[in-house]
Amino acid sequence: MNLFGKNKLHRRTLLTGAGSIALALPWLECMGEKKLAHAQAGTTARRFLSVFQPGGTIADQYWPSGTPEAPILSPILKPLEAMKSKLLVLRGLDMKCAVGEQHQAGIIGFLTGSTQGPETTVLTDGGYSYYPSIDQIIATKISKNIKAKASLQMAVRWATGASHGLLHPINAANFEDSANLAPIPPRLDPQQIFDDLFGSLTPAVAPAPGANTAPLERKKSILDFVMARYTKLSARLGPNDRAKLEQHLTKIRELELGLSKGPVGSATCRAPVRVDTTGYDPTTGLNSNEEGSIVDISTDSMIPTVGKFMMDMMVMALACDITAVGSLQWSDTEAKHTFPWLNLNNHQHAYEHDDSAGGMAACTTIATWYSEMHNYLLGAMDQVDMGGHTLLDESVVFFGSELSVPPTHMKENMPFLLAGQGGGLRGGRLLNFNGTSHNNLLVSILNLFGDPRTSCGDPQFCTGALSGIA
Amino acid sequence: MFRSNYVIASLVAVPCMGASIFACSTAIPHGPGRGDRNATPAPVGSDGLPTNSSSPTVPSLPGTTPNSPGGMPGEIISTQACNAPLAPSAPLRRLTRFEYNNTLRDLANITDNPANPFPSEESGNGFGNDAASQSVPDILAEKYISAAASIASTLTDPVNVGKLASCASGPLVGDEVPCVQSVIDSFVARAYRRAVQPAEAQGLIQLFQKVRVHETFTSSLTAVLEAVLQGPEFLYKPEFGEPVAGRTDVLRPTGDEMAVRLSYLFLGSMPDDALRQAAVRGELQTPAGVQAQAQRLLADPRARQVTAFFFDNLLPIAALSALERDKTLFPAWNAHIGSLMRQETQAFLDHEIFEGPGTWPGMFTAKYTYLNDELATYYGIAGVSGSSFQQVALDGVKRGGLLTQGGMVAGPIHSNPTNPVTRGALVVKKLLCQSIPLPTGAVLAQVKVPEPNSAPTARQRFSAHSSQPVCTGCHSNLDPVGFALENFDAVGQWRDQENGVTIDASGNSPLLGAFSGPVELGQRVAESPEAEQCFARRWTEFGYGRVSGERDACALQSTWEKFKGAGYNVKNLLLQLTETDTFNYLPAVRE
Repeated sequence: MNLFGKNKLHRRTLLTGAGSIALALPWLECMGEKKLAHAQAGTTARRFLSVFQPGGTIADQYWPSGTPEAPILSPILKPLEAMKSKLLVLRGLDMKCAVGEQHQAGIIGFLTGSTQGPETTVLTDGGYSYYPSIDQIIATKISKNIKAKASLQMAVRWATGASHGLLHPINAANFEDSANLAPIPPRLDPQQIFDDLFGSLTPAVAPAPGANTAPLERKKSILDFVMARYTKLSARLGPNDRAKLEQHLTKIRELELGLSKGPVGSATCRAPVRVDTTGYDPTTGLNSNEEGSIVDISTDSMIPTVGKFMMDMMVMALACDITAVGSLQWSDTEAKHTFPWLNLNNHQHAYEHDDSAGGMAACTTIATWYSEMHNYLLGAMDQVDMGGHTLLDESVVFFGSELSVPPTHMKENMPFLLAGQGGGLRGGRLLNFNGTSHNNLLVSILNLFGDPRTSCGDPQFCTGALSGIA
Repeated sequence: MFRSNYVIASLVAVPCMGASIFACSTAIPHGPGRGDRNATPAPVGSDGLPTNSSSPTVPSLPGTTPNSPGGMPGEIISTQACNAPLAPSAPLRRLTRFEYNNTLRDLANITDNPANPFPSEESGNGFGNDAASQSVPDILAEKYISAAASIASTLTDPVNVGKLASCASGPLVGDEVPCVQSVIDSFVARAYRRAVQPAEAQGLIQLFQKVRVHETFTSSLTAVLEAVLQGPEFLYKPEFGEPVAGRTDVLRPTGDEMAVRLSYLFLGSMPDDALRQAAVRGELQTPAGVQAQAQRLLADPRARQVTAFFFDNLLPIAALSALERDKTLFPAWNAHIGSLMRQETQAFLDHEIFEGPGTWPGMFTAKYTYLNDELATYYGIAGVSGSSFQQVALDGVKRGGLLTQGGMVAGPIHSNPTNPVTRGALVVKKLLCQSIPLPTGAVLAQVKVPEPNSAPTARQRFSAHSSQPVCTGCHSNLDPVGFALENFDAVGQWRDQENGVTIDASGNSPLLGAFSGPVELGQRVAESPEAEQCFARRWTEFGYGRVSGERDACALQSTWEKFKGAGYNVKNLLLQLTETDTFNYLPAVRE
């Protein structure tokens, strides 16, 4: 189902076409964004989305044939045929920074270009990143304190296996663009995400007893008081503890700024259809065990439904200017869940290690399904008209994995895709970079957003931006 | 930096091999977890391997010694660590989800676990409460705000508002501020876990008045509670301490701060009235006063929930009802049996610790367990009737001790055949705190899933681990431990044979010595200093919300020595956690 329908939606139709729900809402300050959206299709990208797919791919079923300017999509990428003109297939990029535990270093390096930091305990096999992830760098530049939320992280069927539902080097892809470089836990519960993002676009939740019609004033009064408490307390603490409270304070301040930037219903921005996700336990990872022998068939069966719902919400979060930066994580690098809808009843990790024909066929099936899902996402973005161009056109979407070859966990020739036209990115092509470090890709992505830096992540793996992607 | 003249953790060297493991050139039975039927047994670690395909060099990580015996950071217990103890670290701690839920239950009778929607904690020390890794992602800041709003609304709804203060149901206009003050003196002080300072109260009243301009009394009071529940005084456990005579390097927690330390250690929740009063009376400034409260709190039923939380995180019992097994191979197995197995281990540990002799070694040798009729029948133990769990004597031949409980042997298994490596890893890594380096690079590339049915018994299927030098170094520690448990099948039932071949349950590990069968293995673990040391370490890390480091060395050492002196009594260990420098002091220089 495509909730956006067949017709492109025009932001311009806002005043005449807004639905009854939107008209019932108070008119907020959101239209400050109007100018931006109507600016000329810019020289810099306006939205960034990263999508993580676990477990790599099957090379001979993945890489397109044809020429750089006229690639012929492979079986695994075939589901993306409709989006081919806006798709840039990046061949020959090696994740050289992925030094550390073989899965953990892959997901940690994916968006950071960092080697894996040292472990703090025997229980994790390694630590986190030495650098922020590019989504957070981009968020600082184009989203934080501009949109309602600096960034959004969502994950489907996350924290399987040894992480037992907790944030862990084996499932962390996003890292704060601040001194603590802390890993960022994703949002997991689709219904909560809906309420958090689109609650104000749907009939309001019951107000506090006796509240009047100035909820914003009330919230601000409370947050101002709370922030003063954090400021006062942190002044009495030592530097490490103060940094913790100041981080918290900063987040509250950002949320307060976001209070006045809530989504405003329009023809472009309307709440996605709330999807019934009964049977899906977003915290099923808490019940996981290290070996993946614990199977939650009910939750696993709902992965396609929940995944599409999350993609719907992510697209609308971008279209509504709730944020300009998002990350979607399909599971984690353990991927210890099954695929009942594909008739794959073992968990993905087992298939990755099974280098028999059967195992590799399963990996092909899984990778192909992820292409279908990615096509759904890109298609949805390409349905949203932002005033003469689509949401996808002004965005950069980075799709990738933590490894390339499943059984060996190699990280050469990574299956990386870019999509969109933000910053002048040019799709419809297959470029081969012949063993270049993927840190160079990360720099290139930052450059598409007008960030002029020439190095990203660990400098020993970065020699500057890739040529030819724009 | 190790300040030790001898090192308990490495008294017995773990002969895991270093760089030479790259020499192997033969297929090695390292495989993934496989949950499908007829799956091949697969050893641990196939998916946690430190390597990089682009670079075969193992990175040298600061503070770690890859591939060294017992080489995990901070693993060392030194006999000299306390000769010149370092000032303990006392990082600012924030309530975990477990603590937030418990605190709201005790503060406001909110019992629907309001912290469950909060984002996942960083796993840190394995218990999710490592203070050093507590960060505030956007979503957490957001959830704190929404949870506070929701809870505050509940507390001020018509049913509950009168419980905050008798005046709060509807004070006369002139009485509103005194009424708010009375809520501050009662509810807010409990939320802050200390008296509210006059200036703080004034600030809260100003917030009330600011909101009151536009809104009702109740809504304005709600705003005050909402602010309190997202404030740092509630969400964090700030400590400022007070001077200690004769010490310039450390401070002592104030009475209120010590009450917080005690309460969260034993109850995972806020101090109760008795503890607050003891703090006010100054009783928590003396070791005797602390000890008296520690003993009282340990006798509180809520302390059992904390120990259950500890064991659910340490042992493979939390999700037994979801183990996948082939129903044709194991017709007696079902999810309900799995949940009964969890109850067995929980009831056993709870009883042993709180009502029984309660020594950690004793757990491994106890000749009884807790069963109901259904689980007893499943195990083939006669004479148990009724659905309630009851103490059942064991023969001490097939079963006896924690390691012979169904959940302990079924929980680590992820296939229909058993796997001696994953069972061994549970004992060696979780219970003995040994770091077994995972295979890397060239070895990893040759890892093959063993052929299904390649041999009748697990010992034979995993023979490459003992025949190939590249494997032996590490697997000599893991596999024999698992072999001793081979008489338990993948669903925890006893068997004498596997595929028609009599099981040889003998083993000999460098760490534990020789043993044969599960009961003897339990005896070896019970006798192992590593097991007792490891248990003390796990409790120290959980209890203090830390990953033990150099500055905890003295606390770890003194705790371990007292634990030993008390015959490894678990309750005693918990009480001893309140006697260390780490628990009794904070550094004079704020960090």
